[in-house]
Amino acid sequence: MDAAENKKSITVGVFVLLGVAVFVIGVLTLGGQQKTFVKSIHISSIFNDVSGLKKGNNVWFSGVKVGTIKNIHFTGPSQVDVVMSIDASTQQYIHRNAGARISSDGLIGNKIIVIDGGSPQAPIVQDGDVLQSEKILSTDDVMKTLQQNNQNLLAITTDFKQLSKQILAGKGTVGTLLADSTMGNQLKQTMRNLQAATQNAARMSSQLNSFSNKMNTKGGFADNLLTDTVTFNRIRASVGRLKEAADNASILTDNLNKASNKLNTTDNALGVLLNDPKAAVKVQSTLNYLQQSSVKLNDDLEAVQHNFLLRGFFKKKEKAKQDSIKKAM
Amino acid sequence: MDSVNNTTSPAPSRISKTRSKVADFFLMLYRIYAFILRFFKEVFLPPYEFREIVRQCYEVGVRSFTLISLTGFIVGVIFTKQSRPSLTNFGAESWLPSLVSIAIMKALAPLVTALIAAGKVGSSIGAELGSMRVTEQIDAMEVSGTKPFKFLVCTRVIATTITIPLLATYTAFIALLGGYLNVSQNEGTSYATFMEQAFEPLTFVDFWASLSKAIVFGFTIGIVGCYQGYNSTKGTEGVGKAANGAVVTAMFLVFIEEVLIVQIAGWFR
Repeated sequence: MDAAENKKSITVGVFVLLGVAVFVIGVLTLGGQQKTFVKSIHISSIFNDVSGLKKGNNVWFSGVKVGTIKNIHFTGPSQVDVVMSIDASTQQYIHRNAGARISSDGLIGNKIIVIDGGSPQAPIVQDGDVLQSEKILSTDDVMKTLQQNNQNLLAITTDFKQLSKQILAGKGTVGTLLADSTMGNQLKQTMRNLQAATQNAARMSSQLNSFSNKMNTKGGFADNLLTDTVTFNRIRASVGRLKEAADNASILTDNLNKASNKLNTTDNALGVLLNDPKAAVKVQSTLNYLQQSSVKLNDDLEAVQHNFLLRGFFKKKEKAKQDSIKKAM
Repeated sequence: MDSVNNTTSPAPSRISKTRSKVADFFLMLYRIYAFILRFFKEVFLPPYEFREIVRQCYEVGVRSFTLISLTGFIVGVIFTKQSRPSLTNFGAESWLPSLVSIAIMKALAPLVTALIAAGKVGSSIGAELGSMRVTEQIDAMEVSGTKPFKFLVCTRVIATTITIPLLATYTAFIALLGGYLNVSQNEGTSYATFMEQAFEPLTFVDFWASLSKAIVFGFTIGIVGCYQGYNSTKGTEGVGKAANGAVVTAMFLVFIEEVLIVQIAGWFR
């Protein structure tokens, strides 16, 4: 009987012990989640609107839960002081110039405080410090912006409506383009021309490319022109001489011009000969006289040859001529 | 004149019956109040029936453990399974651990435990004490100098007050385990992640509120069962009534207390 009682007592003891153990484990797990049993520091931030933030909500830093909301109380008109309990092990990563803002865990999740920013140059946050709060867009603000966007969208669609109506009616450039088949054909032709021009341009570009390649060929004329100083000097000298020749030609041309000008006037012999008809007649009659005189002179000279005084001279001259012919043969 | 008397005679009878029922109700309230008061008077006075308390703890706690564990496991699995479609509609299956833990820790664990205990333990206490009353064993104990109230009532109420919170803790753990198995099977969530997410939305207020509820439920089940059995009359019929009354009243009170404690816990949040 006693043994049975003892067995029951032991069973009850185990039952109670296990129950208490499960409960304690639960409390410790919850404490671990709530950072209840870890060393923590308290920092605060003052907000105008906490958007339903509650005591016990989480505090995140760089997306990691680092603490919970310890207390929320008013400090002044429209000013709410939110005290946060932060895990001391994360203290070294949070700097005094970090900002605190109210956010939410997911789209419809609990409100949380997000600490972000802060530069390494600023000192590390200490117990009792107040972080600067950052104002975020509330749902109302977002809705206001959305409403404004809707109005803008409405205005844009109204404009488009009018525009499309005008296009359908064939008004304006685009409307005409769509409604007028002639213009369409012209546009097509233009496009074809443009395409051909583009092809030509491409071809030309290709040719230019090959030309420039040839120009760049080592030892070629262009390359020598650009790189060989001897050739360049020769060309320069040639150009100099060409210039000189051109200058002389120019002077010659001037002289010729002057001479031709003089030939057109009657103040000189040639001008008179070329331009004066009276002088021409005189010259012609003079020549006629000269011709008649030369005929008479010829007759006279023939007569002289047959003169006894000079007949011997002409005979000797004939004989010498005959001798030279014989020697040559 | 007689005819007048005959026609009017049923009316006073109904009024008197109503008066009698109202009086009985208040009398019952007084008796319950006196019963509870007597419990608190006697529980702190020696002799302390430790052996009987341990025996009752065994009867109430250990013997109910299997039933309550099984119920808790089924509750965890079913609740998780039924909640999934609603969360899937929002693409929020990842919130299942949080949802399940909130439901189990805040309400289901103490409530299910209390309801099962009210059915099993409450009826058992009511029937046991009722049969002892109708067989005049309690009277015999009084005559023999044994304090039947202390021995029979105080030990049982203490046992239920201690063991039902423990059973509720087991239920919560096993229900969470059931929820985890279901979530793990469907979403492939690891145990560590499940537990982390399960405890994420909970606060100490939830824990203490749940524990307080279980203690109050345990006390209620014990005291109601003892009251019904200790004050049972009318022979064997009274035993059945005592058992039935213990279950119905305890369950009803459990729900009333649930509402009140949830309200009170809300003030501390």
